[in-house]
Amino acid sequence: MRNVVRQLAWCLSAWALVGLAGCSDPDRGAGEPAGSPSPSPPASAPGGAAAPAAAATGTTPPGTAVKPAEEPPAEATEAFVAPPLAEVDAQANWIDQPVANLLDLRRKEDQATQPPLSVAEALALRNDSKENNDKLVATLGRVAQQAEEVDYDAVLNRHIKADAKSTNPLFQSSVYEADVMGLIGLTPFTFDRDMNRFGDADVVVSWQTSSDRMLDKIVLRNDLTWTDGQPVTAHDLEFAFHTVMSPKISVPAIKTSLARLKGVKAYDDRTLVYFHKEALATNIWNIGIPFIPKHVYEKTLQEDPTMEQSPAHVELEKNPVTCGPYRVVERQLGSSYLFERRDDWYQKEGRPIREKPYFKQVRMRVISELNTALLALKKGEIDEMELSAEQWVNQTNDESFYEQNTKSSGIEWTTYLFTWNLNIPFFSDARVRKAMGYAFNHKELLEKQNFGLFEAANGPYHQTSWMSPKPGPAPYIQDLDKAEALLDEAGWVDSDNDGIRDKLVDGKRVKFEFSIICTPVEERKKLCTLLKDNLGQIGVICNVSPLDFAVLQERTVEHKFQAAFGGWGAGADPDLSFNIYGTNEGRNYGLYSNPEVDRLFKEARGEFDREKRAKLYARIHELIYEDQPMTYLFTKNSFYAFSKKLRGYRFSPRGPYHYGPGAFSLYKVKN
Amino acid sequence: MSSAPRSRSAGFWAQAWSQFRQRRLAMTALGMVGLLALVALLAPAIAGTRPIVCRYKGQLYFPCLYYFNPAWENPVFARDRFRQRYPRNLREKDAQSWAIWPLVFQDPFRRVAENEWEDRPGNPAGMEGKPSSMNLLGTNSEGIDVFAQLVHGTTIALLVGFVSMGIASLIGISLGAIAGYVGGWADLCLSRLIEVVLCIPPLALILAVLSILEKPTIWHMMAVIGCTGWTTIARLTRAEFLKLRDADFVLAARAMGFGWPRIIFRHILPNALAPVLVPITFGIASAILTESSLSFLGFGAPPPNPSWGTLLNSARSNMGMWWLIVFPGAAIFTAVLCYNLIGEGLQEAIDPRLRDAGK
Repeated sequence: MRNVVRQLAWCLSAWALVGLAGCSDPDRGAGEPAGSPSPSPPASAPGGAAAPAAAATGTTPPGTAVKPAEEPPAEATEAFVAPPLAEVDAQANWIDQPVANLLDLRRKEDQATQPPLSVAEALALRNDSKENNDKLVATLGRVAQQAEEVDYDAVLNRHIKADAKSTNPLFQSSVYEADVMGLIGLTPFTFDRDMNRFGDADVVVSWQTSSDRMLDKIVLRNDLTWTDGQPVTAHDLEFAFHTVMSPKISVPAIKTSLARLKGVKAYDDRTLVYFHKEALATNIWNIGIPFIPKHVYEKTLQEDPTMEQSPAHVELEKNPVTCGPYRVVERQLGSSYLFERRDDWYQKEGRPIREKPYFKQVRMRVISELNTALLALKKGEIDEMELSAEQWVNQTNDESFYEQNTKSSGIEWTTYLFTWNLNIPFFSDARVRKAMGYAFNHKELLEKQNFGLFEAANGPYHQTSWMSPKPGPAPYIQDLDKAEALLDEAGWVDSDNDGIRDKLVDGKRVKFEFSIICTPVEERKKLCTLLKDNLGQIGVICNVSPLDFAVLQERTVEHKFQAAFGGWGAGADPDLSFNIYGTNEGRNYGLYSNPEVDRLFKEARGEFDREKRAKLYARIHELIYEDQPMTYLFTKNSFYAFSKKLRGYRFSPRGPYHYGPGAFSLYKVKN
Repeated sequence: MSSAPRSRSAGFWAQAWSQFRQRRLAMTALGMVGLLALVALLAPAIAGTRPIVCRYKGQLYFPCLYYFNPAWENPVFARDRFRQRYPRNLREKDAQSWAIWPLVFQDPFRRVAENEWEDRPGNPAGMEGKPSSMNLLGTNSEGIDVFAQLVHGTTIALLVGFVSMGIASLIGISLGAIAGYVGGWADLCLSRLIEVVLCIPPLALILAVLSILEKPTIWHMMAVIGCTGWTTIARLTRAEFLKLRDADFVLAARAMGFGWPRIIFRHILPNALAPVLVPITFGIASAILTESSLSFLGFGAPPPNPSWGTLLNSARSNMGMWWLIVFPGAAIFTAVLCYNLIGEGLQEAIDPRLRDAGK
């Protein structure tokens, strides 16, 4: 029993180590079963994005999990009756949307450029500067131009930090499920490195939007099959939609985005129309329904509408019927997965119908302890892994690492911050929140604690993103005099002469003493302790209280905290941040409210011109930064180690895998 | 031994002590524990960034008391905007001031920055923080001095042992005494209770309790360790009481009409205590280990309190920083070993069979 507990605790600490954070953890949605809404817009892959929706931030927004405010009444979908196709077609005035094979696009993109180094040079290069890093990625990150370059019999050994909770696409909620789904699952849409939405040419023939933006229509290819040999049809998508909307099933992650649809109708085996509630620029992110086999679940769902409990469903969890490029061959709970390339994915009756996926087999190993994973990498047991900043700086510079591997990094739109609870007397005043920003020793954090690897954050959107203002506001730097002046101005002075600031609030003298919560990870505790030390210098007591991730989530969702440290990852669309900054929104843990910000979000959602949208979001960014509902600290980058045999990786703001083609551009060279 | 008359029981303790004193290992261990206690008590004078004593604007102050309780730092320094940095401020704000500094100018809570102490470099962070003349035992990845953390962590290590075992012995001895003395159904119930508590894994309980609490502190952890660790003590006490309650001297006491509290506490307990001391000593050792494991897992003493386990934990992210493994590991090892040696010495000293076996 003790061992079990110890293991449990190990997992806890390990996951938190990698995860985002306080308010949120993109890597993992706590422990609730299928609880938290989609963290990251799911994987890569043909069929890329399933539900980036709730993902504003690559995180687990329990808000929706606990009180699915955005869930429409069930009858709303039941009551929807789709008009006949002829009528729809007559009124729609269809506009074609892009359908592409993103791997092809990448190939063309690479053709237009020259690698700065030869492969041999790149492999010999040490990644010790930004310049070298760029050269490395530009050389080794190129995709295969010819089939001869690729070793099609190779096995890719991937590393994941925690086990996926399910192999059922409807239950995905963290990046781990997304990684699995990227191989075996499918949706009609994908998005590229710059978050442009595409119909996936491997799945659909065409994608059209009506001129009033209220409808989307797709026509599926006719050569998709399930692993049991049945054809994949539009009815499977409609069935998936109705299954998700059923009140009896608990799939909040995916429900959040699909709930924004009025309905979905399959007119024949290949044609499907999405009906939207409003004409919004963000509609394209609500249509990523994953395929599930109607012919299988039709029967089993009648016995067990939860989709989780009956013996048939347990069996399906073990041996799922899937339609992606790979299928599950073997699954060992908590330790590994083995996937195999499906022949009927890329050929039909011996003739090719799609590009052959590069790996014969993909093995995923679950290793929660990063140091163990690094050892496995050095031994060649895994081919890639995400490194911690510490490992990047200290443990991957020697010959034992470079013998078989190399490493590269890329900018990621993940921002870490202190969230203040605006509902308590300390932080309701913007001057106090600004004082916190001035009190914190940003330089110490960036240079010492983060090894100078990360840039300072200056607001909700990443500096390099299209929606942030140019130039952005200047990041805060420590200025204790300013901080003290602001606190004095806000009325927080040491009136009782005990060295600690206080103020009369509702007739009572309140000491400026609060707790900041964070997950029990050493780096985070250290960061909060730095805040404690800084505030102690200006007469404010800050207690650091590390909390188990599940508890921390509960506290933040219920607004039962004073301050929290955490991070938000990038959503595919800037509107997803509305969930964090909009008045009374699900993940607005600090209860920030600015009517102007609310209005601008609404306006931006209805705006289809990207440049105009960008301006609106830039304004939002500035307004929020002025209000400082959070103290923005730094943006994290991606750090990955790759085997020297691997090629074709490129970083997106969501890391190297979670976009299209993502993991599907990876290949191993022939020996 | 069990039926020794009361007049000889005092002699028993003296005898045990003289036996104990002959065991060099046990005595060394006792000395070490004493030393650790001294270190814990004098921690702010050994390592810190606040003067032990200073004269400022004509007054004497003891800013180092801050390390025991932040509220004990005189507010005058906050008012004069010292911002918790003494060396330069003292000189700048009062040229006449003087101060006696701790032996090592390092802080257990934060990285000492450059020039905080005149012409002294800032602590290195990360892999550069090897042991050096500035940082005797190196620094951790954030640049906080390991020696200062070890010294200040001693307090927690000792407190955890004493407080949790204090609670455990209080519960264990009273319940064991009742079960053994009253017997019958009370014994039955209490014995079952002991078995139930034995089944609870303390680590799981502690994790659960810490997650429920609004502000978990090290004291809660001690309480939980204490509340789960009393079973062995209770069992031993019960056995001793069962044995002693029918002894002649108890019978005599009862015949003289003494009440049961007097019989239990004055007559039986002193005679039953010796064997109980042994599991208490071992308990202290295991409590220290438990605290270290908890801290190692990240659920230990809330930051910024430095604890040995927390230090070990920080080594986990980078095994290359050997000084983060060796020194805290050695500290935990020494403390646990000492308690175990004392326990063993005690056991041998009070048990005639063991005592004579060694000869």
